[in-house]
Amino acid sequence: MKVILKGGRILNPATDLDIVGSVCIEDGQITDVGPDVDETGAGAEYDCRGLWITPGLVDLNCHLREPGNEARETIQSATLAAAAGGYTTICAMPNTQPPLDSPALIDFLLDRAASPDTGGVFVQPIGALTKGLNGREPASYASLKRAGVAAVSDEGSPTQNAALLQRAMEHCLQLDLPILIHADELSLSAGGSINEGGMSALLGLKGIPRSAEEVAIMRACVLALNTGCRIHILRVSTWGSVETIRQFKYLGAAVSCDVAPHHFCLTEEDMPEFDAHWKTTPPLRTMVDLELVQQGLSDGTIDCIASDHSPYADHEVEVPFEEAPFGFAGLESTLAVTLTHLTHRGILSPLETIRRLSTTPAEILRLEAGNLKPGTSPVAQVTVINPNLEWTFDVHRTFSKGKNTPFQGHRLMGKAVLTLVGTENYRDPGFEPERYRRS
Amino acid sequence: MTRSLPAIRTLTDGELKELFQLAGWVKAELSAGRSLPRPDQTRTVGLLFFENSTRTRVAFEQAAGLLGHRVVNFGSSGSSISKGETVKDTILTLRFAGLDALVVRHPSSGAPQMIARHFPGPVLNAGDGRHEHPTQALGDALTIQEAKGRIEGLRVAIVGDVLHSRVARSNAWMLSRLGARVRFVGPRTLMPSVTAKLPAKVYYDLRTGIEGADVVMCLRLQRERMEDGHVGSVGEYARLYQISRQMLRHAAPEAIVMHPGPINRGVELDDAVADGGQSVILEQVKNGIYAKTAALAWSIGDLAGRAQA
Repeated sequence: MKVILKGGRILNPATDLDIVGSVCIEDGQITDVGPDVDETGAGAEYDCRGLWITPGLVDLNCHLREPGNEARETIQSATLAAAAGGYTTICAMPNTQPPLDSPALIDFLLDRAASPDTGGVFVQPIGALTKGLNGREPASYASLKRAGVAAVSDEGSPTQNAALLQRAMEHCLQLDLPILIHADELSLSAGGSINEGGMSALLGLKGIPRSAEEVAIMRACVLALNTGCRIHILRVSTWGSVETIRQFKYLGAAVSCDVAPHHFCLTEEDMPEFDAHWKTTPPLRTMVDLELVQQGLSDGTIDCIASDHSPYADHEVEVPFEEAPFGFAGLESTLAVTLTHLTHRGILSPLETIRRLSTTPAEILRLEAGNLKPGTSPVAQVTVINPNLEWTFDVHRTFSKGKNTPFQGHRLMGKAVLTLVGTENYRDPGFEPERYRRS
Repeated sequence: MTRSLPAIRTLTDGELKELFQLAGWVKAELSAGRSLPRPDQTRTVGLLFFENSTRTRVAFEQAAGLLGHRVVNFGSSGSSISKGETVKDTILTLRFAGLDALVVRHPSSGAPQMIARHFPGPVLNAGDGRHEHPTQALGDALTIQEAKGRIEGLRVAIVGDVLHSRVARSNAWMLSRLGARVRFVGPRTLMPSVTAKLPAKVYYDLRTGIEGADVVMCLRLQRERMEDGHVGSVGEYARLYQISRQMLRHAAPEAIVMHPGPINRGVELDDAVADGGQSVILEQVKNGIYAKTAALAWSIGDLAGRAQA
């Protein structure tokens, strides 16, 4: 069948394309992109006037919780949430139970992700950096790579041992696998629950100092510079982290990084007192951090935006603040929060917004995604965005099982109205195809 | 009307004044040997202690008795709390156990606020983590009022482990809002790294910090602070921050010395000061009961209008 996305603003950062035109998808593949495409024999046409047609979004930091924690999320619920959030590819972090440290577990994940009851988006597994994520013995990286991981990571179990991290980098350099770094020096952060500063003093909560993140980033960058391994720092939150990464990029380290939406639009002061729905790590920081993180995004020091989707079951969150887990469910709010707080405020242009949400994460992991150019992906991955749709985020209407988010009730502007992976995958109820015709 | 008491900081000026006046009235009545008026209805107060405490628990039991209310005790050992039940489920259960009010002590800062979201009646904070201990501060304000005749304009030095102290936070809010000038005195390792949001001026040197102070309030140094490197040794801490008779000369001539107890003698205070004429430590215990009585009455809605009478 032939599908035409007609008359939208086409944003394809991979080719620096920003024009009004149409995208033609035939038999699940993008066949033409441009001001004039051949519409004869179209089976479905979507009127995209006033909308953006972009490569499907790519999330490189996402927790699917399966296997092991299906009360928090499953591959099915996460992929449905991803499609509704505009994503066509999501990376599955390895900190499941058991952790993704063997080819058999990677097979399981890919198998489950391919089942017809899922959201139909691509699930890209990330392997565990150490066996069982124990932080002591490197995993078998060559086997993991052959099984299909795009990177390895110590997510959820930050590496404290510099020698181990260096050894892992040597292995991964040879295999050309990037390492996604969970930067946290536990001797500094242990026991803390919010940013160390004015709010932690006021509320009598043990603080997580910015140094816990910065020391770990600096160590990883030094090792990356010395080994030559590609590393990617997950969710930076302090101005010092941004400055450190800027310096190491200048020195020639193969380092990239991402930021999660809450770190470019919320600060420690915004949290309603002791509301565990606002607890995350690294914690919400200060206005100075927020401004310099935004600047880092704007000047390219921060390469991309990732959801850091970390769903939890309600009963895990409804506990005294210090006992609550860290993290937010973010797949269904990340695009809208980015558009609301960065794009509509002129911090990122529409093209740069899509670059940070799709093209760059795909490039970092060398995925066949994040590009509308025909022939760059085995199946079409396309998202249609209504940048001006105003809506209120409501966790009671989300697909994710995780309802832990600081964005409940947040007024947002912009939303994915159509997500295609080969075929129509998610469509906003308010967005109807123009006409259907039998081809 | 019922209302919770999660912290001193979150009270309005009107509420704070009302609570302090009520405490003064309760104290006047009880110390004159009069008993408090019986309540219209006997209520059941749950004492829910997730952290061990004898003094505070007993003081609240006495307070409830003085008001003519019943008390039911819950502790974390020997109850369903120690069987893995979540706090929320415990509270939801207690909603149907006929409890009218809860007094909560919890090792986690903010737990009373969380509990108040799931309990329909008033919830009183009897100490949460390192956040606040409102009734301690209310009692301490009574003690200062008794010894000094006023609070407004006094210089109050709170000395010791400010970082981990709920007593320090509650007292700083209580006393500064009643017009005192509050100072925090202690080593950098036991002081919050940012104190801009707290109503106190910070001193790291004891002698400068207590210079001219009308009230010297010592904080308890927990044993674990020595193990985790916050203080080099007990001896070193005592040498730098102990209120000795000699050190006390730097405070105002009639300065009073306070301590929330239990005292580590020879650490925060030497014996001469703890048992000396300037010590009001035992008055603090007595006033603590008046404060808890007033706080319970204020929360449950007893004695309404009495404070102004």
